[in-house]
Amino acid sequence: MSLAIEATDVVKVFGSIHALDGLSFTVKHGEIFGLIGPNGAGKTTALRIVSTLLKPTSGSVKVLGRDVVDDASEIRGLISYLPEEAGAYKNLSGYEYLEFMAKFTIEDKEMIRETVEVAAKISGLEERLKDKVKTYSKGMKRRLLVARALMTKPKLALLDEPTSGLDVLHSVHVRGIIQQYVEKEGVTVLLSSHNMLEVEHLCGKVALINKGKIVAEGSPVELKKKVNASNLEEVFAKVVGFV
Amino acid sequence: MFKGLFNVIVKEVKELVRDPTLLLGMIIVPLIIFPLMGFAVQTSMKAAEESMGNISIAVMDLDKGTVAENLTNFLTAWNVAIVKIDDLNFTEAVNYVQQSNLTGLIVIPLNFSNNITEGLKAELDVYTVFRGGGIAESTSSSMISTLLKSFEESLVVRKVGEKFPEGPENVLNPIDMSEKSIVKGKSVNIHPNVLFGLMMSQSMGMPIGIMMLLIFAMQLAATSVASEKEEKTLETLLTLPINRLTILAGKLTGSIIVAVVGAIAYIVGFTYYMGSFMGIIPAETGVDLGAIGLAPTLLSYLLLGASLFVSLISALALAISISVFAEDVKGAQALVGPLSMLLIFPMIFMMFSDIYSLPFPLMIVLLAIPFTHPMLASKVAFTGDYLTAVMGIVYVSIFTLAVLYIAARLFGTEKILTAKLKFKGLRRRKRKPTE
Repeated sequence: MSLAIEATDVVKVFGSIHALDGLSFTVKHGEIFGLIGPNGAGKTTALRIVSTLLKPTSGSVKVLGRDVVDDASEIRGLISYLPEEAGAYKNLSGYEYLEFMAKFTIEDKEMIRETVEVAAKISGLEERLKDKVKTYSKGMKRRLLVARALMTKPKLALLDEPTSGLDVLHSVHVRGIIQQYVEKEGVTVLLSSHNMLEVEHLCGKVALINKGKIVAEGSPVELKKKVNASNLEEVFAKVVGFV
Repeated sequence: MFKGLFNVIVKEVKELVRDPTLLLGMIIVPLIIFPLMGFAVQTSMKAAEESMGNISIAVMDLDKGTVAENLTNFLTAWNVAIVKIDDLNFTEAVNYVQQSNLTGLIVIPLNFSNNITEGLKAELDVYTVFRGGGIAESTSSSMISTLLKSFEESLVVRKVGEKFPEGPENVLNPIDMSEKSIVKGKSVNIHPNVLFGLMMSQSMGMPIGIMMLLIFAMQLAATSVASEKEEKTLETLLTLPINRLTILAGKLTGSIIVAVVGAIAYIVGFTYYMGSFMGIIPAETGVDLGAIGLAPTLLSYLLLGASLFVSLISALALAISISVFAEDVKGAQALVGPLSMLLIFPMIFMMFSDIYSLPFPLMIVLLAIPFTHPMLASKVAFTGDYLTAVMGIVYVSIFTLAVLYIAARLFGTEKILTAKLKFKGLRRRKRKPTE
């Protein structure tokens, strides 16, 4: 099976800080891959490099067979990135925002309308989509953004903390949608999360990242077995030598 | 290359126009405040005009001579209502004038008529009641002074006429001066003050208008980039399948559209405000600017348009390049704010002087500022100096290309995400490590 992401020995330096220090991992097509790790471990930097926002200082990253530095604009047509602290244009309505985003990937008017309808269902915002984004709660905004990221059925969705700020019910809903998109639409997902329960339930494969490096990699079951732990939190604590 | 540009422009315009603070400051305030100011000026001017129509004054005639009588008749002939209070003493007269609604009091002392007839200096005491100032009061007062001056002149003409029966005018105004102008090498039968007045309104109005437009546009462009950072929408925008230059072009165009609307609102409001004065001060009429070669030609309009356009793009590109370094809207506006000095500085010189009459180093500094050139171009119709306007357009175009290149570079690289300046003291801040 060909690879959706192939990161090899990626280093990213900001001034004197090594955000990534020889990071390597691969993600297969149709897989939900989870990057987990503490704050400052390098998860967001990794996602930003894969999404072509940042260039690696050294090393290489191939996304869907294309290089993130040389073929950045081509990659942007195939992926969808949901940043952790993303916002939406506050003076546009939810509908206008979704339509604005859809128009970049779809040209046909009818298709745009259908895509926005799909997003309306994913977000569950219904009538509130007619209101301006600035009237939305944090959770509503996040649902709008998750819907935006998935509505165009990208080949690869990069989701940084997809359920951050959502209540339990909406988190369950969003996880269900992600799973559905992977199974039915063949979308590949690379996500980062602090929520180990979420990662354990959702991801087929997980990479534990610490200080800019992968410290363990495998399916949740494999990882738990490997270090004799009952859940991923314990795995992580054991791998980084916290316990 | 510019696929999706229209989509970005529509979004930019919607975002900017729907921003309540922006809408209030740029469109509603000039459209409401200026006309309101104009209305206030107009109303008080009308009140002053009306009060001039019914000036009433108390006259205390202690002289009772012929000249004193002529004086009161003269004032009555000019519609001034006279209240005779010869029977009161001075203190009573002052009290009376204060309590009634009279403009003032004229006291004609004893021997007034006699002194004038004998060729001696006569005294006249004129008091104006000060009730609290205001245009109406001061105009009534100066109206009385003017009338008294006219009366005095009529006395002079009569006296001179007694000695020079062939025409007192020849003695009083021995030189008949006819003032004309030379425009572009031709003599023109128009008083230079009329031309200076016209030139003044042109050279004051255009630089102010150009400056306002450019400042608006710069603030908008800076806001549009910085709000993407503040609202955390930039990262998503930069990962969309759209050329970075298209995003830049969309932001420039959106800012221009809204700035033009703002500038129009400003000009409409300001014109209405100025119009409120013009209605009262009669404008100089009958001057055919076309006939004397001072009317703006199509070429001068085109040059102004071209100069304005390239300057606008350079101002926007400059604002965008600088605002990339700000973390939020406030920061961006603070960074772009000092740039307005580049506009105010040439505007002040353009309003009050001819750039070529300034000391050479200052002239060079002004010519190096790109925003001087549209202001120079706005004077082309008067100066006929097309070459300077064209050279200016070429210079500003080169400058614009350079700044656009920098803006495009900043937009094309990760600098747009990572460049940050901290505001307290403008020190470079250590970049925050991302996760």
